[in-house]
Amino acid sequence: MAANPELKQQVDELLRENKVLLFMKGTPEMPRCGFSMRVVGVLEQLGVEYGAVDVLPLLDPLREVTGEISDWRTFPQLYVNGELVGGCDIVEEMLETGELSELVGVEQPETVQPPPQPQPTDPQQSPPLKLG
Amino acid sequence: MADLVEIERLIAEALPGAEVEVLDETGSGDHLRAIVRAPQFEGRSRIDQHRMVRAAVQSRMDDGSIHALSISAEPLR
Repeated sequence: MAANPELKQQVDELLRENKVLLFMKGTPEMPRCGFSMRVVGVLEQLGVEYGAVDVLPLLDPLREVTGEISDWRTFPQLYVNGELVGGCDIVEEMLETGELSELVGVEQPETVQPPPQPQPTDPQQSPPLKLG
Repeated sequence: MADLVEIERLIAEALPGAEVEVLDETGSGDHLRAIVRAPQFEGRSRIDQHRMVRAAVQSRMDDGSIHALSISAEPLR
């Protein structure tokens, strides 16, 4: 399925307007997925200004859009200067090495907090429940 | 639910010379972590390294065998 051109154009505009842009499930105040929550935690530690898009209301159409823009269909996705940096694994690795601070142009925090335990029971992705 | 040995084989075939380990992170068999050290990663961005691993197992993501795939990638020198 091809991406909706209007939605793709909106995403392109957001990418131009926001140096640091996070596509996530839920909002920074109320993440709806453990992986999204962890990326929010990283950005908050850096103290960097960022835009956040809740993908849940348009999940499948946005998968098509990001698939075309950056060959990546799962969320969260962090973009810096319009380029996909990565999802949770990459963002956490780059926080630890200081690469992310450098990329977004902030001082590396003196102490980097270890990530919270992964929450594999994402409400959107729980394995099927069995009855009987 | 994915066959971990098959997933390892798919990655190893796509990235000849790679060291590949696939772990079941939750015991449910569909939230996996792939630890991959590959010579092909040299000089590539992290997201490109992840794209290469993901591409190798795309068929198993598409058919739902793998629901979530975490990747730890580093160049093998």
